[in-house]
Amino acid sequence: MRRKVFGLSVLLAFVAAALAQQPTAPRTQLKVGDIAPDFTLTDNNHNQVKLSDFKGRKNVVLAFYVLAFTGG
Amino acid sequence: MRQYQADIAKFDASNTQVLGISVDSGPANAHWAKELGVTFPVLSDFMRTVVKDYGIYNEVQGYANRATFVVDKQGIIRSIEQGSTAIDPTGAYEACGLAEKKK
Repeated sequence: MRRKVFGLSVLLAFVAAALAQQPTAPRTQLKVGDIAPDFTLTDNNHNQVKLSDFKGRKNVVLAFYVLAFTGG
Repeated sequence: MRQYQADIAKFDASNTQVLGISVDSGPANAHWAKELGVTFPVLSDFMRTVVKDYGIYNEVQGYANRATFVVDKQGIIRSIEQGSTAIDPTGAYEACGLAEKKK
């Protein structure tokens, strides 16, 4: 009996974990007022672009796209 | 992309840099930017590091969610929009003080 209860609770834990990983749209943990994580990426003209290079100079709009050739 | 490009002069005038980011390869982004006539940089986050840092990476599907972050000159996030609302750049305009200029 005790074993069955244990087995059942293990099963439930797995189900809960699986449900927690549903492919729902991820939401950012960042909040307004947080420091934007810095990054360096290569642009479409092979230039290295670093977010912190704009610090003290410009506001930056980071528009994340699902994939290239998507709308918005 | 088109929306931002259409109003790029306004962003420029308000001292704001627009950066497009996708998880596609550089060549795909270059082709995309060229097709749309985009003049602002389109960055390739092929390694998915930035989308993970920003918490918008969809592990299951392997691509990022649509999102827009506005970062001020101090490097502080001033506006976050996610999902379908991020497609409309109005929020980004407002965060940049461009709301009145858009209307």
